[in-house]
Amino acid sequence: MEREAALTRLFESHYTGLLRLAVLLGADDAEDIVAEAFCELHRRWNRLRTADAALPYLRSVVCNLTRMRLRHLQVVRKHAEWSTDLERSAESVALLRDDQKALIDALRQLSVRQREALVLRYWLGLRESDIAAAMSISCGAVKAHTNRGMATLTKIMRERR
Amino acid sequence: MTTGPASTEDQLREVLETLASGVRAAPDAYQRVQHEWRRRERRRRLILAALVVLVFTLADAAGLWALNQARNQPHIVFNDPGPARSHLAPTGPETP
Repeated sequence: MEREAALTRLFESHYTGLLRLAVLLGADDAEDIVAEAFCELHRRWNRLRTADAALPYLRSVVCNLTRMRLRHLQVVRKHAEWSTDLERSAESVALLRDDQKALIDALRQLSVRQREALVLRYWLGLRESDIAAAMSISCGAVKAHTNRGMATLTKIMRERR
Repeated sequence: MTTGPASTEDQLREVLETLASGVRAAPDAYQRVQHEWRRRERRRRLILAALVVLVFTLADAAGLWALNQARNQPHIVFNDPGPARSHLAPTGPETP
């Protein structure tokens, strides 16, 4: 009962944010990924050290599942065309200017890890240690992914101009 | 307009924020996810119960089989050829 109540509170306060995170990371089935994250949390609730660990755990599961999904799609992509939720979200993309659309295209060219690091840092505004926990890598690796990703984005945008 | 890292960072923040604001949760999302986690919990409990029943059944079957292999006759614990006489008192008069 306590678990259900806690999960309900978490769902109400963080579901939309996690859904947005999955979409920004490039998931093609963001709703399924976030639903899976909540089911996993429900299963492992008793293993959490504290209730505060629930949100970082959810974030980490969303990142891992999105990464696995994208890698799977990269294999499938060789045989068939696919699109992400972001590409299908015509309303959001229509709101963007040309340079912003170019930035999104550039973001898609980055590796999955670089994109994750940039989204977690620049959209969620997480600290390096939190990003490292969400991505299950070291702080040094987070720094490297962020720097390389940002350098690539800057280079692509400069070339475009 | 600059195209340095600072500019790209600001632009990236703005773009991500714009894109994120366009994503909205479905109204029935909570019901769907709650239904799913409850279904999985029921399935886990069912599998656990089935496993427990299976283990008990196997243990019972093994026990019954072992009992069935035992001989039907009473078990002999001591099988000395004659009765132990050392404790019996002599019955007849002793011969000189």
